Amino acid sequence: MSHLAWLRGLLQRRKAEREIDDELAFHLDMETQANVERGMPHAAARQAALRSFGGITQAKELVGDVRTLRIESLWQDVRYAARMLSKTPGFLAVAVLSLGFGIGANTAVFSIVNSLLLRSLPVPEPHRLVTVSSDTAIRFGFTAGAGWNYPMWDRLRQRAQAFDGALAFTAERFNLAPSGERQPVNGLYVSGEFFTTVGVPALLGRTFTPADDIRGGGPDGPVAVISYRLWQRRFGGAASVIGTPVAIDEVPFTIIGVTPAEFLHVEVGRTFDVAVPLATQPLIRGKGAAIDQPRALILIVMLRLRPEQSLEAATATLRAMQPEILGVTPDARSRLPANLAEPFTLVPAYAGTSGAAGAGLRQQYERPLWAILIIVAVVLLVACANLANLLLARATARRHELSVRRALGASRWRLARQWLVESMMLAVLGAGVGLGIAAWGSRLIVAQLSTDQSPVTLDLSLGWQVFAYTAAVAAATVVFFGTVPALSATQIEPIDALKAPGGNSSPGGGRSLYTKLGHGGSSGLVIAQVALSLVLMAAAGLFIRTFDHLANVPLGFDSDRVLVISVDTARAARDPGTSYAYYDRLVDAVRRVPGVTNVAASVWTPLSGGGLMQDAQGRVMNPERAVTNAVSPAWFDVYGTGIRAGRDFDHRDVATAPPVAIVNETFARRFLADHNPIGETVQAAGRTRGTVVGLVADAVFGRSLRDTPPPMIYVPLAQSAALGRPVDTSIRISVRSSSEPSSVVGSVATALTAASPDLTFSFQSLADSVDAALARERLVARLSALFGGLALFLAVIGLYGLTAYTVTRRRTEIAIRTALGAQRSQVIGLVLRRGLALTVIGIGVGVAIAAIVTRYMEAMLFGVAPADPATFVGVSVMFLAVAALASYMPARRASNVDPMVALRAE
Amino acid sequence: MPKTEYLQGALDLLILQILALAPNHGWGIQQRLQHVSEDTLTVSQGSLYPALHRLEAAGLLSSEMTLSENNRKARMYTLTASGRRRLRSETDDWRAFALAIRRVLQAG
Repeated sequence: MSHLAWLRGLLQRRKAEREIDDELAFHLDMETQANVERGMPHAAARQAALRSFGGITQAKELVGDVRTLRIESLWQDVRYAARMLSKTPGFLAVAVLSLGFGIGANTAVFSIVNSLLLRSLPVPEPHRLVTVSSDTAIRFGFTAGAGWNYPMWDRLRQRAQAFDGALAFTAERFNLAPSGERQPVNGLYVSGEFFTTVGVPALLGRTFTPADDIRGGGPDGPVAVISYRLWQRRFGGAASVIGTPVAIDEVPFTIIGVTPAEFLHVEVGRTFDVAVPLATQPLIRGKGAAIDQPRALILIVMLRLRPEQSLEAATATLRAMQPEILGVTPDARSRLPANLAEPFTLVPAYAGTSGAAGAGLRQQYERPLWAILIIVAVVLLVACANLANLLLARATARRHELSVRRALGASRWRLARQWLVESMMLAVLGAGVGLGIAAWGSRLIVAQLSTDQSPVTLDLSLGWQVFAYTAAVAAATVVFFGTVPALSATQIEPIDALKAPGGNSSPGGGRSLYTKLGHGGSSGLVIAQVALSLVLMAAAGLFIRTFDHLANVPLGFDSDRVLVISVDTARAARDPGTSYAYYDRLVDAVRRVPGVTNVAASVWTPLSGGGLMQDAQGRVMNPERAVTNAVSPAWFDVYGTGIRAGRDFDHRDVATAPPVAIVNETFARRFLADHNPIGETVQAAGRTRGTVVGLVADAVFGRSLRDTPPPMIYVPLAQSAALGRPVDTSIRISVRSSSEPSSVVGSVATALTAASPDLTFSFQSLADSVDAALARERLVARLSALFGGLALFLAVIGLYGLTAYTVTRRRTEIAIRTALGAQRSQVIGLVLRRGLALTVIGIGVGVAIAAIVTRYMEAMLFGVAPADPATFVGVSVMFLAVAALASYMPARRASNVDPMVALRAE
Repeated sequence: MPKTEYLQGALDLLILQILALAPNHGWGIQQRLQHVSEDTLTVSQGSLYPALHRLEAAGLLSSEMTLSENNRKARMYTLTASGRRRLRSETDDWRAFALAIRRVLQAG
């Protein structure tokens, strides 16, 4: 802004100078002419005229001084503002920092919101991409049964002309190391038309065609497409990468293309590194490949709608195909999971719903992010109110200077503009600091969103939207805190210049700008600050308590010192019939590792988003569903889940033995009507009947700690072939260690590799899974605490400043009172009265507002009511205490003033 | 007394009065002042021009570069409406002031 004004001032200055020259030249000529008419010769006439002018340069300067007030004024304003601000470095620091934090926090949260919630997929017409899902899958986000199998996809592909294309994919972790230590990357199996249907061109080389998507590879053999990031990271961005071989799980593939930088994934917040055609999966995973396993339901299917096709029309078309698609796998024994039994539902792809990893990142974080955006906006408001107050006080302190300027001819508008320029400079500096804070802060927040299992990448580049938002925010802040002092500055009277600079002699006397504008104006600002800060603190208190409650939810198992190993046996050549014996061998190998207390295997583990939710029957008919899991003996001991009655599974419960089961307390309550469960017959998924041999305590199972433990049926792993899931390829081994789980990871890895060399596995400590389940609430609690604390800090600074200013203004009055014998406590009380009164009013207003606002937060809370009295009372008391302390300090200093010194200064 | 602007001495008042009759340029104002006051009052360029520009900045005068009678570029000043109002109030004040002084002097 000042650049333009300076330029304009410069150009206009030249023009103005020329005009002044012309004007004075005219006068000179006329004077010369008059002299000539009086009879002087021309040269002498001119000399006389020049002399009478008294120095033409001087005259020009005098005129120039007056004129520059108008023309160069804006640039002058900027220089003047800079000078004034640098004279009070303390104020400058406080102002720029509080603005910087306010603007920076807003920008950081906005850039995340922009990237996660507002930006759609970087593909052409993303709104026409839809994902095939079901109501249940959308609601629960369970892994098992969330996808299609290969034959179904194949059938749909043959029918894809009903739409503008269809695609299927599934995510996988690949190992790019040719040998030795694993180099894991995010991989994707995609159908041949994936890239063309989504609309992603190749940056380099080419993307897949359906010709590549056949077994053993197409005309170019097994091919792979890599992402821009991998291309840069691993191949240094070299153009020669096309045609280079890459080992995917030690199988050679050829790189034929690179995707553009802005394409990360079809799911917001996820990335991929390497994509290979679906049909080449058997090369990597051998006999366990999903395309050969009708029971492998792992494919996510998406469609691209035709231009004229609406969502409803496409849904109807797809549902018409549903019987035919489901009919390709007539395996009656495999009961279909919930999502396939229900009618197909189409959801827009850029909503980020994914079946493969639980609820989409966008859905999970949508509401908390909007809440945080509002919170930081409020923090900024508090910062602005603070600054407005500080600037008002400054204006009062400088009113002597202001009135002198008025006397010298400056107009009201001129003075107001000066203040606006000063505010604008503060805003620009604050915005600069803010952008820096935003860049750093947003990365920090995104890092908190990531967990080891599902790293989050967001494109946080400061795009034009972010800049525009920052500029808008900065401009708004100038309006909010600049106008009030600017308005009051115009009320200065020149007569005030004659009054002594410093305090008034009487408390309410004189027409100082402070008293004129209010007590009203600045008091209102203080009350607003206090109220807003209190609302934020109340929200923070509620979020912190929510997190606290969630973190203390009784898990039903002992999460310390438990290590969960996800074992993938796909490439280990092995006869499916002996799978249980194989797992038993693995478990034994791990048991022998020193430091391991106990080991067990299961299909699923808690907090990993697994588990089949199925119809179950017990003595009581209950439409509710139960979760089933298959576990080996000692599983409950590893997890520390108490056995309430009966026994655990043991060596007796083999595949050929009578089927048995263990149920948890919730199941017994809901399905067995509190009868002694031992001996009861229960049924899971309509295919298995088992006799209950044990009763265990309730334990958390699903991904979210907010849900109460579901009713559960456990069956022995040995008898679990009936579960209807491809147990052949992956199993979880849970280990209880005597000390930290990380201490046994190495030895366990060695033991497993020794037992079965082709095994691939990954580790996750149970404690980390619990942490991840709390990630969202923890983030919200931390951020709201941070911003609530920031708001408190700003409000307290405001109160401190207000009290200090009051003391300065009433110095004489205080001195007189002290001289007349007032006690120190009386003096302190006098000064504190106003500040505390305002604080109390502000707290009252804040509590009222908070009671209304927190109602909207209800969905995010856990274990606390939105209008929880304990929280409200707690933050009010805390605020009052801090405010009292902040006001007390300047008040105390006031009482120490020597009355003689103060009076002498007047 | 004036609300916000101080007329610096009587010069401003005289300028306003001269321009009340007709618009003029700086040279013309200087000449007229000398003429009407019968050479009693003279004003230097160093005082006149800053005063003119200041009065213009305060909105009491407006100005324009025009061609003078001998085809020269000159800046012509005109009294504005607010200038006229100010002239009236200042004249009243001045008269009251002068009357008061005369009274004091007569009272001896």
